[in-house]
Amino acid sequence: MNTTIDTFPALQRRDWKELASGFLIRHIMVVVMLLIVAFFAYRSARFATPDNLTNILIAAAPFALIALGQTLVILTGGIDLSVGSVMAASAMAAAWTAKNAGDSPMLPLVAAVVTGLLAGSINGLIVSKFEVPPFITTLGMLTLASGIAYVIGNGAPINGLPASFGSFANTQILGLTLPVILMIIAILSLAFVMKRTNYGLRVYAIGGNRLAAEIAGVRSRNILFSVYAISGVLAGLSGLMLASRVITGAPNLGQGYELDAIAAVVIGGASLMGGRGTVWGTAIGLLLIQTINNGLDLLLVPAYWQNVIKGVIIVAAVGVDVWAARRGRR
Amino acid sequence: MKKASSMTKKLLAGTAMTAVAALGLAGCGAGDPSAAGGDKTITVGVTVYDMSSFITQGKEGMEAYAKANDINLQWNSAGGDVSAQANQMDQYVNARVDAIIIVPVQADSLQPQIAAAKAAGIPVIDVNTALSGADLSASVQPDDVAAGEQEATMMMEKLGGKGNVVVLEGPIGSSPQINRGKGIQNVLAKNPNVKVLAKDTANWKRDEAVNKMSNWVSAFQGEIDGVISQNDDMALGAIQALREAGVTNIPVVGIDGIEDGLKAVQAGDMIGTSLQHGTVELAAGLAVAARIARGENVDKKPLYTMPAITADNVGDAFKNVVTGREAFLDGLPKLIDGNLKTGNIAYEGLPGQTK
Repeated sequence: MNTTIDTFPALQRRDWKELASGFLIRHIMVVVMLLIVAFFAYRSARFATPDNLTNILIAAAPFALIALGQTLVILTGGIDLSVGSVMAASAMAAAWTAKNAGDSPMLPLVAAVVTGLLAGSINGLIVSKFEVPPFITTLGMLTLASGIAYVIGNGAPINGLPASFGSFANTQILGLTLPVILMIIAILSLAFVMKRTNYGLRVYAIGGNRLAAEIAGVRSRNILFSVYAISGVLAGLSGLMLASRVITGAPNLGQGYELDAIAAVVIGGASLMGGRGTVWGTAIGLLLIQTINNGLDLLLVPAYWQNVIKGVIIVAAVGVDVWAARRGRR
Repeated sequence: MKKASSMTKKLLAGTAMTAVAALGLAGCGAGDPSAAGGDKTITVGVTVYDMSSFITQGKEGMEAYAKANDINLQWNSAGGDVSAQANQMDQYVNARVDAIIIVPVQADSLQPQIAAAKAAGIPVIDVNTALSGADLSASVQPDDVAAGEQEATMMMEKLGGKGNVVVLEGPIGSSPQINRGKGIQNVLAKNPNVKVLAKDTANWKRDEAVNKMSNWVSAFQGEIDGVISQNDDMALGAIQALREAGVTNIPVVGIDGIEDGLKAVQAGDMIGTSLQHGTVELAAGLAVAARIARGENVDKKPLYTMPAITADNVGDAFKNVVTGREAFLDGLPKLIDGNLKTGNIAYEGLPGQTK
């Protein structure tokens, strides 16, 4: 104790430096995010306005839900490739219900959630009980759910939906649309669950070392089942959000969204091997992607160039993260 | 049940064809009753890029025409995959169908398959999207340049030839994107006082267009006077974005005349659209294919010129496309045969349309 106090002034300067660089390294994605925000704000006067911020949040909402589900799955060391198609199937189920079951906004919601839960549960069952690799299981579901989406629409988008179908995504509370509020609630509650509850701990434990977790008494099958089921439900809600916003059921909705969701999780610092990653990281990752989408639109960068830039930023961001993690360990 | 009966039908048709072939070999085709006259049952294989609403409409139109004209229709969707479409072509060639209709995934594809079909003596017709560099028996195409000109003209008239517009485009490089874009450009070139603030793709999709448009509204607060969209779905996305931003009275124009697009014209949310009625266009494609397969004379390059739909005639269009569909399908075979004679294959009795 005494010695520490004696050498305190000398250590303090070094500590300060280390603390600062430690902080930078630990929160490198926040730094990257701020740099990107600063760049867009500098290049476009319209970027940092409340209206535009709302645009980013609205665009992020459907995408946030699947990225959060994906986070849980990836934390267990798995992957869910089916979310984009499950979104489409759920959206089509909801649209079909709205078209055929009258003017209630609740029934489509139920249809979407049930469809998502069903798809997620099937994934979960096959992964946990039959131990088929998640990549294969969810790849199968990707194809299957996309097929179901087309089956529901008899091969075509569902047009001519009642206006009430739009109420889910277009209702505003305190100036924010329902999907944005749902996104915020989902991020906060999942962050809490993952950090402060036994359930969260178990998800991390399975991803870190499944055998050790099982020896310690974690029922890994139940936990595995649950993460896929949750991912499915969130994909169902997400699909409904997208469809409801533009009041249509499109069977090609959400195509390729799984890749952006996985990118968001990975940018957020998660390891695809499982056990490492946070809900906050994912939130940053998805806001990063959405901010880039928005900012490049404001700067009128053509869509194909946007893809090039996005690809580079995703790899660079993860590269920086890996580098920072390595430095941090040293 | 439905599947089983169509299977039986296919089997029966297959048996009948084998019988015809056997008789033909034996040199006494006259013994087969279905071979009498020019109307013997033919088999036409169709491969489409994907099951869009346009194609689904078109399938119904084709089925109605096939039923009335002794055509056995075989149907396959490529799900947006070029190689799947190539496989489906191979299947049709192996099955020795009487004609093949392609609604291509990609404009510069399928040359080897088309050559194989030609070698087997099977006529190939491309419908809706042109296959470049291929030796085709006939081609039934929409006049996308004219549609682009039509929608841009509607917008110029609305704006009085002055103002700022944004343009939502289809997937870059697709033939409707290129040709509709060409048409829009032709009109813009004659209106130097109209400025294009932004132009980008939203890949025909409503959910993509809504975000793109929201971002443009952010980028050009208050400067946008009109939205020219290359299809209705993206136009509807733009309308939603404008609504979310609380912007009213910005004219929006689209192309295609899908159900929700026609409704938007009716409600005054869109100033107009151009009706590309899959039912009529694809049935016309089938009619051309059938005539070629049966060795009859027919115009091998008819153009489908989309009728302009505005508040004045949207009611009639809505009847043909949505509410009065059954009756429209019933009268379709006659309509199509009449159209092939008069030359305007897009005619469907709308006010403002001529035969």
